[in-house]
Amino acid sequence: METLTLALAEVGSLTRRGFSAMGASVRFAAGAVESLRDLRTWPGQTMTQALRLGVESLPIAAFIAMFTGIVLALLASYSFTGAVPLYFVGTLVEKTVTLELAPVLTGLVLAGRVGANIAAELGTMRMTEQIDALETLCYDPLSFLVAPRVVAGLLMFPVIVAAAMIVAVASGWVASTALLHISTVEFSKGVRLFFQPFDVEYGLVKSASFGAVVTLVGSRRGLATEGGAVGVGRAATSAVVYSAILILVLDAFWAVTWLLGRQAPS
Amino acid sequence: MKRASDAVVGLVVLVVALATITAITWARQADIGGRRQLVVAHFRDVGNARVGNAVVIRGVVGGRIQAIELAPDGWVNVRMRLDPAVGLPAHPVVLLNESSLFGDWQATVVDRSALPADDALHRAVEDASHDSNALPGTSLPGIGKLTTVAGQIAGDVASVASRVGTAFDDSAARELRSSIKNVADLSATLRSIAQEHASDLDTLSDELRAAMLTLARTATSVEQTAQRLDSATTSDQARQLVDNFDVASIELRRAAVQVHDLSRRLVATEGRIDAVLANGNSVLAKIDRGQGSLGLLVNDPSLYRRADSTLAELRALAAALRANPKKYISVRLF
Repeated sequence: METLTLALAEVGSLTRRGFSAMGASVRFAAGAVESLRDLRTWPGQTMTQALRLGVESLPIAAFIAMFTGIVLALLASYSFTGAVPLYFVGTLVEKTVTLELAPVLTGLVLAGRVGANIAAELGTMRMTEQIDALETLCYDPLSFLVAPRVVAGLLMFPVIVAAAMIVAVASGWVASTALLHISTVEFSKGVRLFFQPFDVEYGLVKSASFGAVVTLVGSRRGLATEGGAVGVGRAATSAVVYSAILILVLDAFWAVTWLLGRQAPS
Repeated sequence: MKRASDAVVGLVVLVVALATITAITWARQADIGGRRQLVVAHFRDVGNARVGNAVVIRGVVGGRIQAIELAPDGWVNVRMRLDPAVGLPAHPVVLLNESSLFGDWQATVVDRSALPADDALHRAVEDASHDSNALPGTSLPGIGKLTTVAGQIAGDVASVASRVGTAFDDSAARELRSSIKNVADLSATLRSIAQEHASDLDTLSDELRAAMLTLARTATSVEQTAQRLDSATTSDQARQLVDNFDVASIELRRAAVQVHDLSRRLVATEGRIDAVLANGNSVLAKIDRGQGSLGLLVNDPSLYRRADSTLAELRALAAALRANPKKYISVRLF
């Protein structure tokens, strides 16, 4: 009987801690949104964060997008040869890149680069009591540290993803013409054949949500850092892991809520 | 430093936004400046045509479908955006049809005189010609419809084959072979009997001729004997008369033997003829009882009607295929 009671208590404790962590995260997100009211604090930091989180992430995003486009073109050609006209290579590259690969791959890469960066930076600030100093000086850490990063992520992730889309389609075109002997006319025909502006809209909105999630998770893990350098490392790791998981969950969420049941507009 | 970072971020945002807008404009094939010409076509049904499908003139892509809208009275208006240099035929008609096996459709602009020879197509175009502000148009059947028609044709052929199979199944074929064999046997027997009969008749005729000659000679002898008998009363020719009677009796006996032999052969011939007639009666009895293909054809009117119906359907199918082959076979690739 006592064993059963202990087991039930453990389950209850796990549940409580889970809901507690979830509630703390929601409260944190709500606080970050609330801090946007403090217009005297966060706008001044936003451009700096946009430069660090966004512009400086462009090379790695473009690098990944370039190889993604090349591989997609080759895979499409491998799959289509003999059965499907090769101009569908352009269609597949455009659709796959804009709807899925550019937002998700770029989001995952930025979860590693940006999320870990934010968590480590804020964690170190927490360990060195810089955040306590800010609070002493009547600065709200959420307004001063979190809101600029979240806004920068929200704005710059779509910019990075848009650039990645262009680079991926362009590299797919180069691979198609150079390696697959598909003419530019054929490739562009495939790209244009089923193109809808919704494809880009969907990818950019999705990437904005990824940006918000990555910066929020990184900030949350960084501000909750405990235990010195080890804690900072743990915060950075957990920020990357949670960001990656949430990106995939959000990807499925957008697909279910926005794509499911939607046909290509006529 | 802060101003510099602002400038860099602003530059990146502007460049990426400009590149994205340019790419979307290119992919959408947007008409910047409105230089392209707009053409509206009138349809009852647009099939699977979609916005963005190609508009083809003489095999060349000259524009895109810009919009598809429902119109009053059961019509559908299709707005097409054509390149500035594209010229329409004198009497343009728009046909919506599949351009590939993958569900792509296109709008093909042709001159009315170049329409396929299909009454239904011409009626549909005439029906759509009432609006002077729009081009008349109609949609051609897609691969799915063609497949359906092909399936119906295959079903008809299968039905015809089934009926033929029902009328001439294995049993009917065996009976037909048996009947043919019977007829062949009957023919051979008749030929053999005819040959034998001709030989017998020849022999009979020869023997009758010989018998007649013998009788004639006998009569002559009898006449001579009578004359001699008449004069025998005055001479010693009685002895010679007796001898002549002996000769005549011998010849009469031989003629009787020959006649007897002839009658025996006639009896044998009659027996063979009876056998032939019996075989014939057997075949006719089978036919009368409805056995065999001939019997079925003679006694079962439904079989005849089925065969006749099958031939009529085949004739109709062949006539339809000759008259309008494109109705049944029209496959276009891309």
